[in-house]
Amino acid sequence: MLSITDLTVSYGPVEALNGVTISVPRGEVTAVIGANGAGKSTLMRTLAGLVTPAAGQATLDGEIITRKRPEDIVRMGVALVPEGRSTIPELTVEENLRLGGLWRQKSDRRTTQAEVFDLFPVLAERQRMRADTLSGGERQQLAIGRALMSNPKCLLLDEPSLGLAPLIVTQILHLVRRLADETRIAVLLVEQNAVTALRMADTGVVLNLGRIVQTGPAPAIASDEKLRHAYLGY
Amino acid sequence: MTSFIDYLIGGVSNGAVIALMAIALVLIWRATRVVNFAQVGQAMFTTFVALTVQTLTGSWALALVVAMVAGAILGVIVQFLVLRPMRRADTSGAIIATFGVLIALQAAVGMIWGGDAQAYPQPFDNAGVVAFGRIWPISVYDFVVIGVTILLVIALSLLFTRTSIGLAMRASAFNPEVARLSGVRVSRVLTFGWALAGVVGAVAGVLVAPSSTVSPTTFDILLVFAFTAAVIGGLDSLVGAVALGVFAGLVISLVSGLSNSGNAPVVALVLLALSLITKPDGVFGHHKARAV
Ligand SMILES: Nc1ncnc2c1ncn2[C@@H]1O[C@H](COP(=O)(O)OP(=O)(O)O)[C@@H](O)[C@H]1O
Ligand SMILES: [Mg+2]
Repeated sequence: MLSITDLTVSYGPVEALNGVTISVPRGEVTAVIGANGAGKSTLMRTLAGLVTPAAGQATLDGEIITRKRPEDIVRMGVALVPEGRSTIPELTVEENLRLGGLWRQKSDRRTTQAEVFDLFPVLAERQRMRADTLSGGERQQLAIGRALMSNPKCLLLDEPSLGLAPLIVTQILHLVRRLADETRIAVLLVEQNAVTALRMADTGVVLNLGRIVQTGPAPAIASDEKLRHAYLGY
Repeated sequence: MTSFIDYLIGGVSNGAVIALMAIALVLIWRATRVVNFAQVGQAMFTTFVALTVQTLTGSWALALVVAMVAGAILGVIVQFLVLRPMRRADTSGAIIATFGVLIALQAAVGMIWGGDAQAYPQPFDNAGVVAFGRIWPISVYDFVVIGVTILLVIALSLLFTRTSIGLAMRASAFNPEVARLSGVRVSRVLTFGWALAGVVGAVAGVLVAPSSTVSPTTFDILLVFAFTAAVIGGLDSLVGAVALGVFAGLVISLVSGLSNSGNAPVVALVLLALSLITKPDGVFGHHKARAV
């Protein structure tokens, strides 16, 4: 389980997160939703070690992960799929995947790669092709696959639906759901696209200007009209 | 016509050395976005180390190996000198720092080994090979130079395509953030890149030494040609560095042969200017998608 406690992050005078507390149990999908600039990416980047928090901490199964280096955090079991294109276009599909678990034993890496290919068959077909030949949806699968290659206990997904067609978004979010159900990974999903995200999440967290305004079961958040109007803009 | 072909043949081994030096520049540029002008200073320093070993032991091969080890160590030291104080500055500060290191290395060599040009012993037969009833403008030693270069280029391409450290180096160069998120210790990988460039530059120095002399500044001209080749090749591209390095060797040989050798640097600079005007990303470079 990933536990985030009172996390506060500032960029100079700009306070991007303020006292954020979230629990992400294993096998569940927790969706953090909020408008552009709410602090969603900051939360993810802080958890992955790319940003140092001013206060608060996060633990994975009791072990503190905050204020550690990204390369150590991923080894501890927290993998981030950052916002935007997080594959390396100049590398092949196979190389992008291999990169995700480069520090692991070769045999462990092989096992995980087979699992990733099970989950994303298209990646197996396109193994030898350069990542920049993939479609947007395929590339997002590759990005998730790269993160899974570290065999994480917790997966952080920053707006995986960004720039993808609605059908592809649904497909990818379904795969994320399946992943949580089948592998018991704790998934923290960040989305601007609240409707789709809440439909497949267990828990919803609404973030606004760096503060949590509501936490609850995803269906309850989805049907809360006041929340929707106030923070999600639809 | 015969002389034209002879000049081309005679330029190949020189081109091989330029290619190696260009590779060293490209290795560091790709990883850190720094053009390491100190590279020739490092190569010159390690060549003097090799000369000392060669004088003491008489073994050319041992001298080469010691120079390679020294090149790796010196590469790490130079990275530390150039990049540590520049942490927060942009890379143009670091590039200026490499000039400082070059001057410091030249001064150090002058103090340790003296400022005069010294001869580097010829390890193999340097006379033109005789075959098909004539003497060719290429010696056994030229074949050694070309052979060592080919071996090194093959070893490097295997390193980059077949090994974990090679993949880590490419990933760290292309996208350091994704590399770190994947668990790659990027700063260590970059240091390895500086060491590797040091090794390649050291080999270039030892290979070229017998054909010139060694003094604190002899290799400066090599920097001009290697930099030209690296930039025209696209700075990001190892293939470009090799191809343009050899090409530069041929052009220099032709220009020197047909006019006089003093014109070669001028021709290099003209080519460089033309290339920057017509193909700013280099013949083998890609603006967005960088080549392997
Ligand atoms: N590197 C940065 N430096 C300064 N301010 C930043 C930086 N990154 C984000 N911010 C600011 O922090 C706030 C939250 O940004 P972000 O976490 O990217 O939000 P979201 O992902 O929800 O759109 C915004 O006001 C943004 O302008
Ligand atoms: Mg964001």
